[in-house]
Amino acid sequence: MSRLGCIGLFAFISGCAATHPAATSVGADDARVTPPAAAQPQASSPPNLPPPSTSPVPNPPAAVATPSPTPTPSAVGAAKPAPVMRPVKPTVTPPRSAAAQATPAKPPPSLPVAPTTPAPARAAAPAVAAAPTLNLTDLEQRLRNTRAIGVFTKLSLKNQVDDLLAAFRTVYQGANKRPPPELRQRYDQLLLKVLSALQDGDPPLAAAIASSREAIWGILADPDKFAQI
Amino acid sequence: MSIRTWPFTRSAATLFGAVAMFSAGSLLADDAALGTDLKATIALQGQPCDQIVQAKRNGDSDYTASCKDGNHYHIFVNAQGRVVVQKM
Repeated sequence: MSRLGCIGLFAFISGCAATHPAATSVGADDARVTPPAAAQPQASSPPNLPPPSTSPVPNPPAAVATPSPTPTPSAVGAAKPAPVMRPVKPTVTPPRSAAAQATPAKPPPSLPVAPTTPAPARAAAPAVAAAPTLNLTDLEQRLRNTRAIGVFTKLSLKNQVDDLLAAFRTVYQGANKRPPPELRQRYDQLLLKVLSALQDGDPPLAAAIASSREAIWGILADPDKFAQI
Repeated sequence: MSIRTWPFTRSAATLFGAVAMFSAGSLLADDAALGTDLKATIALQGQPCDQIVQAKRNGDSDYTASCKDGNHYHIFVNAQGRVVVQKM
């Protein structure tokens, strides 16, 4: 009889253990999203609890424990948004300051890299080119690839650009290191020709060149920067 | 037999016609692009030309263009790689 009683008790306990997850499954649907692994240890712990105590006693704690895992995720999820949202606003501003502090902190690692790779003369050119949002290589490639102007037009423009660069080179070979106003006029005229040729067929490229007008002139008008072209 | 080949011959004729029209359209587009290119080249050299009405290819990178205003130009690339526009 005692064996039968033990078997019956074991069957009852196992039945309670079987109904236990079923009760948690309702809440576990909510808990499945975040911590399925966290709910399992608590569900597995109740079965450990019943053996030391009697069957009716573990059930209430198990029932208490089962709601606790399911509500805890939902409660945590419900509780977290409110507290998190409040701290988030304060934390959003600190992260910006922290990011702002971190970005200056990051450049130092990149700065040592930049000085290590280029010579001082090379370092000056990218810094100057990056400041006025100018990328001469990109503009040149876009001019080569654009279909807005034909081959003859491209070649003709290239001839005139080469002529202008030759004129600058001649000026800088002399004693006067400042470009005369005539060169500025020629530069403006040439840029207008390029823009007029591009404005209908490739407006983005025309806008990019127009926005880089002064930056390009800054390179042409500086003998040191011009020598690096 | 003739009844059976009739739809194929008609469809082939339609296909050839479409290809001919497409090629003619692409040729017209190429002509328009060439006219625009020559006109822009003439303008870049400071020469007047309101509209290209005829362009004749003389050779590789060598064209003769007639403008609507009566001007005729010889446009070519010389040995130094420069575009030359000569008024005829």
